[in-house]
Amino acid sequence: MAFEIPKTAYSGKIKEITLGKGDKAVKVGGETAYPFYLFEGEMPNLPKIAMEVYDCPPEEWAAAALEPFAGVTDDPVAWAQKCIKDYGAEMICLQLLSTDPNGLDRPAAEAAQVVKKVADAIDVPLIVWGTANHDKDTEVLRAAAELCQDKRLILGPVEEADHKKIGAAAIGYKHTVVASSPIDINLAKQLNILLGNLGVPDDRLAMDPTVSSIGYGIEYCYSVMERMRMAALTQQDTKLQFPIICNIAKETWKTKEAKISEKDDPKMGNARKRGILLEAMSATVLLLAGADVLIMRHPEAIKLAREMIADLTAK
Amino acid sequence: MILIGENLNVMSQTLGPALRERNAGPIVEMARAETAAGVDLIDLNIGPARRGGDELMAWVVNTVQGITDKMLSLDTTNLDAMEAGLKARQGPVLINSVSLQTSRVDRGLELARKYNADLIGLLWSNDGMPRDVNERAMHTVDFIYKANALGVPNERIWVDPIASPVSVEINQVKACVEFMTMLGEIAPGCKSTVGLSNVSNGAPHDLRGWLNRTYMIMLMRYGLHSAIVDAFDKDLIQIARGRRPDIVALVHKLMDGEAVDIASLPREMANYARTVRVLKGDSLYSHSWLEV
Repeated sequence: MAFEIPKTAYSGKIKEITLGKGDKAVKVGGETAYPFYLFEGEMPNLPKIAMEVYDCPPEEWAAAALEPFAGVTDDPVAWAQKCIKDYGAEMICLQLLSTDPNGLDRPAAEAAQVVKKVADAIDVPLIVWGTANHDKDTEVLRAAAELCQDKRLILGPVEEADHKKIGAAAIGYKHTVVASSPIDINLAKQLNILLGNLGVPDDRLAMDPTVSSIGYGIEYCYSVMERMRMAALTQQDTKLQFPIICNIAKETWKTKEAKISEKDDPKMGNARKRGILLEAMSATVLLLAGADVLIMRHPEAIKLAREMIADLTAK
Repeated sequence: MILIGENLNVMSQTLGPALRERNAGPIVEMARAETAAGVDLIDLNIGPARRGGDELMAWVVNTVQGITDKMLSLDTTNLDAMEAGLKARQGPVLINSVSLQTSRVDRGLELARKYNADLIGLLWSNDGMPRDVNERAMHTVDFIYKANALGVPNERIWVDPIASPVSVEINQVKACVEFMTMLGEIAPGCKSTVGLSNVSNGAPHDLRGWLNRTYMIMLMRYGLHSAIVDAFDKDLIQIARGRRPDIVALVHKLMDGEAVDIASLPREMANYARTVRVLKGDSLYSHSWLEV
């Protein structure tokens, strides 16, 4: 008898959702097999990479992370345009760092104006990310949702404590919600149920499982994402059949390993190469676990991740 | 099915202070209420009781044994307190519990022999919680071997495979069910028990009973002898006493993988059906598991 390669029995499919609008809208999700298991099923939309833009000039960034954005880091509009024009970004993620109540605490109305400016200046999908402070994110993301109605923003993080108010604004102004849960599959499912009960349509929901860098617990993120995909694809768990967004850039670039200069610690080697590889390798791990959208920073790390996606899906 | 009431507990907001202050009123009241609720044993949980535990346990035993004819279960990790309670006790008694840790097992077994007590054999070893059904089987064999060698017969041992919360690790929830199917062969004559409410730890308070009752039915199917339970869950007592064969039949059907149209069931039955699906690992647990 001829040997037959065993195949996983799939019974579910990840929902295909459209992010953004117009010519540059992107589709994500739609998988019918585990990540890159093209011999068992389909991956109709390859994972997408959103480039980070900050709403205030970065402080204490590694030189390697700043260098590609020299001259635009004090202007989010110019920064976003540079990402698209020079680095081919297919999505932008605007990190609203300046709204942090423990930092600059920029008022919601002002932050919403910045979101609007960026949204007006670009045609690729725009992810808008708060600071995970429930009260402030509620104010900021609601204001942005209203001011940018019909821009089809992708709003996150939406957590259990603020899901009702942000979710309602997203429903009303037709934006997509990123349901964010703390590396816990049961809580991830619960939040998706709650958002569904609230009325968020299935085609406007993505999940953020909360991720971390290599060396900082990425194996837990991997395991949770892996189990999400197992439940979604082999157990027909409709409440976990949503695309996954991973906010990985800031997790890798904030680590000591990415930031410390070669002068301060010669045995760590070339700082630029180190930071880029840390981001690229962390991204690769998350791709293999099932990420549909990666939020990334360095153009060369992005290039490496794209090459990996191309290699894994080469016919 | 033997039920051990868990409610006389140092963690309680009212009973904790009453225990510390030796205030008999609330303790007597709780023991009476559990007796009236119809459990078979009353667990006296004084916690780790590091300081003065011996005097405390003797006091609780004396306070409770005058007002109830139920068997008592002495629940503490302090073995001095355990011995003081055993000395004070006049009547049938259960040691809750003796773990397999080197520092505890010999003394715990010796207490059981010396005071003619039954004991819960907690499958917690030097390595902590057993990781799967095989480790549970292995620990059971170890435990019984040690117990028999020290003169404690199988009939006195209530093996506790340690239930864990459904929201933590579903494979551990399944492992306890599988373990029950094996226990009779591994350890003929041994009894069994489980801290049932553990399975619902972390679940919304008002929904915990669904998980507790369903899990009890699943374990009972394979011969669970007893369980440590919420004495005031009336539905649980009805099920344990064999008065709800309809629910039990439904749970068995789902355990066997028979197709059941959950949406067409009345609400109570649909809740049990959904809970079986979660406890079997067919459907991932979430706090809204009864709604989806």
